[in-house]
Order: sequence, then structure tokens, then C-alpha cells
Amino acid sequence: MTKLARRAFLISASVLGGGLLVGAGATAIGLQRIAAFEVPLDGGRAGFGAWLRVAADGVFEVMVPHQEMGQGIHTLAMMVAAEVLHLPLSAVRAVAAPDAAVFANPVMLLDGLPMDFHDDGLLHGATVWTLDKLLRLLGLQGTGGSSSTRNIEPAIRRCAAVALDMLRRAAAAEFGVDEAQVSAQNGVMTASNGRAARYGELAAAAGLLRPRNVDLPPLTAGRLIGRAVTRPDARPKATGVARFGIDTRLDGQLYAAIRHAPRLGGRPQTARLGPTVLGVRQIVSGADYVAVIATTFAAALAGLDGAEIVWDDRAASNLSTGDVEAAYRAALDQGPTYARRWVIEQAGASARVGGRAVTARYKAPFLAHTTMEPINATALVERAQVTVWAGHQSLSLAKLIAARAAGVAPEAVEVRTPYLGGGFGRRADLHYIRKAVEIAMAVRGTPVQTIWTRAEDLRDDVYRPAAMADVSATLGDDGMPTSLTYRIAVPSVTDQFTARAMPAAKGGLLADRSAVDGAVFSPYQLANRSIEHFSVDLGIPVGFWRSVGHSLGGFFFETFIDELAYAAGVAPLVFRARLLAAAPSATSDRAEVLLQRLASWDMANRLPIVAAGSVIGRGVALSECFHSLVAQIAEVEVTGSAIRVRRVHAVVDCGCAIDPANTIAQVRGGIHYGLSAALYGRIDFENGAIVQSNFHDYRALTLADAPEISVELVNSNAPIGGVGEIGTPGIAPAVGNAIFAATGQRRRSLPFTL
Amino acid sequence: MMALTVNGTQHRLEVAPETPLLWVLRDQLGLGGSKFGCGAGLCGACSVHVDGAVVRSCQMAVGDIGERAVVTIEAVQEQPGIADIAAAVVAAWVQAGVPQCGYCQPGFVMATIGSIATDRSQSREAVLGQLSNICRCGSYDAVREAVGITLDRLRHDAP
Repeated sequence: MTKLARRAFLISASVLGGGLLVGAGATAIGLQRIAAFEVPLDGGRAGFGAWLRVAADGVFEVMVPHQEMGQGIHTLAMMVAAEVLHLPLSAVRAVAAPDAAVFANPVMLLDGLPMDFHDDGLLHGATVWTLDKLLRLLGLQGTGGSSSTRNIEPAIRRCAAVALDMLRRAAAAEFGVDEAQVSAQNGVMTASNGRAARYGELAAAAGLLRPRNVDLPPLTAGRLIGRAVTRPDARPKATGVARFGIDTRLDGQLYAAIRHAPRLGGRPQTARLGPTVLGVRQIVSGADYVAVIATTFAAALAGLDGAEIVWDDRAASNLSTGDVEAAYRAALDQGPTYARRWVIEQAGASARVGGRAVTARYKAPFLAHTTMEPINATALVERAQVTVWAGHQSLSLAKLIAARAAGVAPEAVEVRTPYLGGGFGRRADLHYIRKAVEIAMAVRGTPVQTIWTRAEDLRDDVYRPAAMADVSATLGDDGMPTSLTYRIAVPSVTDQFTARAMPAAKGGLLADRSAVDGAVFSPYQLANRSIEHFSVDLGIPVGFWRSVGHSLGGFFFETFIDELAYAAGVAPLVFRARLLAAAPSATSDRAEVLLQRLASWDMANRLPIVAAGSVIGRGVALSECFHSLVAQIAEVEVTGSAIRVRRVHAVVDCGCAIDPANTIAQVRGGIHYGLSAALYGRIDFENGAIVQSNFHDYRALTLADAPEISVELVNSNAPIGGVGEIGTPGIAPAVGNAIFAATGQRRRSLPFTL
Repeated sequence: MMALTVNGTQHRLEVAPETPLLWVLRDQLGLGGSKFGCGAGLCGACSVHVDGAVVRSCQMAVGDIGERAVVTIEAVQEQPGIADIAAAVVAAWVQAGVPQCGYCQPGFVMATIGSIATDRSQSREAVLGQLSNICRCGSYDAVREAVGITLDRLRHDAP
């Protein structure tokens, strides 16, 4: 049991609504900012700190500063609070946290820094601690980087433990017994003398007590943790009751349809409404779009279709996909003298070691997100107040961007967040909120919902960048690598994101770790390695896409490891195990367990016999990302040029699966997302214009093509890792490696074609 | 003015006849359970029943519906003849934990109910073969499980 440091708690002078205010994570900085720990309390509520309060109906409310976009964070927060408080899940509910510094997400930001988190040295620990505090000060609320649970779980656990202690002491005083003679169960404190009271009845008295050090309950399987629960949002979502941003309906609301310049960098020159359409109000022009406002979306769309729009293409891009590839090729061919080059990790000498050389060049295309709920936002602009209803992945940035668009202070902006119909990183880039506010400014005082059709959703996306990588290694006489160089040509997503979201901030000062993720700080601690980023940015907008850089590096690096295994004449699973064993660490030990489980599955499930004319094979991949490890094996059947992924087995170590059913769902989802991309996904440009426009030419897996995915969880009790994105990076290399196993043909370019 | 029967209620609407049914449901009748996903009949998020058949409402002009009865996710559990199927599908969806973001799920549920209703004695594979809805969260494994649970329950409860 961990003793909580006294300074981790904050005693507030103010007793609110008969309850008590307790905040977790308070530091010297936090102590000066008591206000940040207060949550608004309305009638009948008692506050138990920033994270917990008791509502008038006796239900414990847990603040969740993360958006629910399918990852189940509301349920996970409720489970942790209910577990510690000895409450049934039904006695707890999740509430959207307000915009306050205490609800910041330093975890997501820390993960992006170019540091090796495997380092358990004192200096590294101190650096992380300091950065955590600094990043907390930024107060940036965000949902992404598979960080939601890691970010809030410790704070909720701490607050719940302290709240329980105070309730117990209040009960002891009330019943005239020792604390040790009070037990908590099911929301009731019961004394040895038989007296009992509900938590809600004790809240006011508990508020008069000082919080104190308590044993922090460990995060291990319990009444709720580690068991499958029914998500409270399952039924509302299955019955159409759940409300997403696009379902926002307000009195007098208007709708807008938006159309962007066909070519990147194009601008509207003139835009006029065409023949009269019933319900159409007006036409609005923005920097790169035209929108028509009407009483219904159907009318807005008809008005837009009939409008006479002339685009000014003088500043438009004339890039085509081939130009981007050529620029990447040129950078890689130029090699170490390329101007914008970061060496993120260099261990020992560079590749000047003798041995047999293996080299390969890989590439991957631009990708769109296609969240099922197309991009949309509703805005109401009044004289001194802006209100936005939209799904987003950052409350802080949503307020900032809406404020900047309307020319008001962020304090004058209120953002209400319904469920997100998918995030995948797409809803981290909030230029759509800017545009919705700009459009609503044309009809001040009236709410306007702007909806992107699927074609506009694709056209106005920030894409997973296309990339190209050169990987080379030398193999010693024993078949083990003696050196490795990994060079990737790709724009920096982080630089572009920063420039869009915070134009005043200076991007590009630090190396962008996400550009080399999947290869850098690998669980294989290879000798004489060099991991380099050639930053090549031709101006095509790029953004965060499920697993970000891992979606590229995972494919390039784990395909190359497979190539090395075949070059060494060693079975791919065995080769990986040897690499891990050559440089043992806590991480390599965890990874080896996963490979062993994968080998067991492979042995237990024999390859099926396939029809004449078809071949079948299996491929593996190991990923470490977001502080979790995943090993997966894909079984692929190839018939002529047709690739069919029959099934996938994944073994996952995320430390502790709080809700195993949800963890499995997330891993399956991540694999499906990566598989759609590996089999079908590519966004192309021709003369600056996007080629793809809907699901017919930017396909997604459906039931007919979706393999059965089985997931095995290993709870190693390592610190908890993320799960939302961890399935994605390994599926493309596993499938590509399986195609090689089946056909002998190595595929180094995505999506796969034969 | 145009007459349209939705969930057993007849509405008189002022609407252009070529307007897709989806937008009439969402913007004029306040039935937000049918979702806009692609506008091209590709994803199935807007699935409703028209005279019992599964229809992608973004592809059906409201003027082409005529006398036919439209049923949406909001009322499917009260429809005579399929109420038990609808209840079983929803219960299985919750039990199997199908929804993640949940946006495509009303359409998926409507398509599943419609598919089972054509022949209750179908195999699980036959039902799954009729479902071409897109889910970007990748809930397909859970959908397979939920359809299995539904059919088991319907057969168990059958008279």
C-alpha cells in the first residue's frame, strides 16, 4: 500500500453546501489556486473536491475532463470511484468537468516529448516530475494519445480514498465508536454497535473534518475493477436516444452547408445564391469556403448546389501525390546532409559496422479519418457571449479557437460537449469550430449548425501524413543485427498542429517524437542504432490519426524486423524473442511473455487447409505504444490478387485492464481501424485537389471483410497503459508479414496490393 | 403539402418531394435517431424500415414514399409483429457491449431487426450476410456475438 504524501491533498477553507472540498494532486502551485479546485455546486449538492461531489439524489458524481468518443472513459471513471468508495456502479455517475487547470492533461503532452520513458534513472524521473508540473500549469484539457484513464485514474482513486476516510470518521463520531469499528459497504457506513447511515447523510459532518493521509488502494482487480460491466451509454446508443453534436436542436436554429475550394489553397472569389430555394437565407464566404444558411440542412445543401461560386485558384496548390513521394525520395537520397533532420536516438556508432547488409525502402499514403459522425458544430454568437455545441477532443482549445474567431475573450465562450461520433484524432483539430463560429456570426443571435457532407469531411480533413522510410541494418555471423539505421521522411504533425491551434507559439524547436514513433525507443534495444527524422512538409494539412506516428513507424519497423528474421534464417517469432533477450529490461521481459502467448496460440490453432489456388500464411508484429505492449498474429489467405484477412489474435499487456470487455473492444477497434487503412486506405491529390470523396473510394471494413479478432489480456501489474490506439500499429505489419509468409512476396507499400 | 406516415402518425409536411427522407425525419420531425453518415447509401447509419423493408433513408426521396409506413429507431420496439425481435436485438446489443462511439448503432440495430424479421429461422451467418453497415469503431466482433444472442433468445422464447 502506498502512503499518500500529505501535500497531495488540499484542505479548502470553504465548506460548500455542507460538504467538503478535497483536491488531488495539489502542489505548492495548486495551493495558491484553491479556486481551481472548486467545482460549481448548485442547490443540494455537496462537494468532495474537484473530482467528487454528492448530488441531491445521493448519487456520487465523478468529474470527467475527457470526452466520451467511444473509449468508455465515463464508465471507467465511474468504476474507479465506485470501487474505492464501496458503492455499486449505479450509485455513481459521470459528469463533464468544467474548464479548470486541475483537469489538465499533462500525460498526453508528456508522451509527445522526445524522451525515452523506459529510462528509470533519477534524472529522468526528476525531469518527468518537473515537466508534469509545468504542463499541468498550462491547464490544457485534451482527450487523445490513449491517455484518458492514465490521466485521471490516480486522481479519482486518491480523492475517493480520502472522501471515504472522512465519511468513516464522521460516522465514527456520529455513532460514538472507534473508526476501526465502522465498515463501509454499498454506500452505507455501519458501526459495530449496529448503527448505520448512508454516505449522503454523513456528507455534511464529514465536511467539518480535515482530510488526512490514507492508504491508497492499489489498482488491482476488485468488486468492479477487472470485471466486465454494462456501460451506461450502451442502451441509449443502441436505441438512438444518445445525443451527438449533430443532434443539437435549439429554438430557432438554422443549418448551414459548407463547401471548400476544390484545390488546397483556393479561395472563393465570388459566391452568389442561384435560383430561389425554399428556406434558404443567405450565403457566406470564408477564407477557403462558402456556406449557405437555411432553415433545414436539406435546403442549405440545395442552396449550395445551386449557388454560383467562382474560386480564385491563384494561390492554389498544384501538388499531386507523386510530387510528395518525389520530395520524400529526394530527402532520403540526399541523406544526412538534408537540412531539416533530427536524430532522435543514436546508440553507439552509426552504421559503419561490418556484416551482411539488409536495406529496404517503405512508403505509406495520406489517410483520412472518416469518423462516422461527419464533422459538424453548432454556434450561437451573441453580443458578448459565444456558445458552441460540438464534439471535440479539447475543451481548452475549443474555447480558445471559438474566442479567436468571434473576437471575444475565452471566458466569454461556453462549449457544450455531447457524445462524439468518433474522434480518432480528427476532432483534435478544431478549425471546424472556427468555421462554424464564423458562419454563425453572419446571423448573430441565432444558433447555426454547420454540417460537413462526407465529401467536405474528407476534403477538409487533416490527414495522417504520407511517409517514406529507408531502413538498413547489418547482420553479424550469428544472424543478430550489429547496427540499424532508420530514416523517415514525413512532415511534423506536431509542428502543423501547433501552428494551427496556437499561431503565437513557436513550433519546431523540439524534435517531433511522433514522427519516429514505432521505431524510436523500441523494446528491442538494438546496438549501434540511429533513428532519424527528415522533416519534409509540402503544405498538405496533416494531423493526429489513431496512434499517430506509430501507424507509420509500426509498419516500417516491424516489417523490417521481419525481413531481418528471414535474412537471418530464423522464424519471425523466435527472432524477435532473441532480439529482446539480447538486451534484457523490464519491458523486454513483458514483451517476451506476449510472444510466448502468441507462439502458444499459433501452435494450438493449426493453419486451415485452403482451396486449390489459394495460399495461406501468418505474420506477427510487436508494438509498444502509449505505455502498453501488444503482440499480434494475422492469418491471411491470398487468392490471385485478392487478400483476405481471416483472423487475428492479439495479446495485450496494458498493466491493468480496468474494464476487460472495454479493453478488448478498444483493441479490436484499433485493429479494424488499422486494417481498413492497410487494405484500402489512401488519400490522393491531383493538382492540389483531393481525389477521394466518400466510402465508395475511401473504403472501410464491413462485416463481410472484417476478420474475427480474439484478444488475450495479460495483467502484468505494470503501471497502467493506454488502450485506445494500441491495436492499430501492429496490424499492417502483421498482415504484410503474413502475405510474405503465404506468397514469398514482400510488400513495402500501403495499402497492400498484389 | 405532403402526407407521410412515420411511426404510426400521419404528418402533413411542407417539403420539396425530392428531399431525402433522412432530413425530413431529423430536421422536420425531430427524430434524431436516424443518423447522417455518407449521404450516398454506403454506410447504413440512416437505416429505417419502410413497409418492413430496411431502407437507407438518405437515398429515398420523401415524395416516393406515398402510403407506405415509415418506422424509425425511436418506435421500432413498439411495432406489432417485430416488437419482440427489436427488444431482443437491443438487449443483445447491450449485453454484448456493441456500441463504442455509438453513432452508427441505431442504423445497425434497424438493419439487424429488419434482416431477422424477413425469416426468424435464418442462421446467424445468413443474418450477418445482410448487414453491410459501416462502423469505424470496429464493433463487428461484438455485432456477431449480439446477433447470435438475439437468435438464441428468439428461438428459446418461441412458442
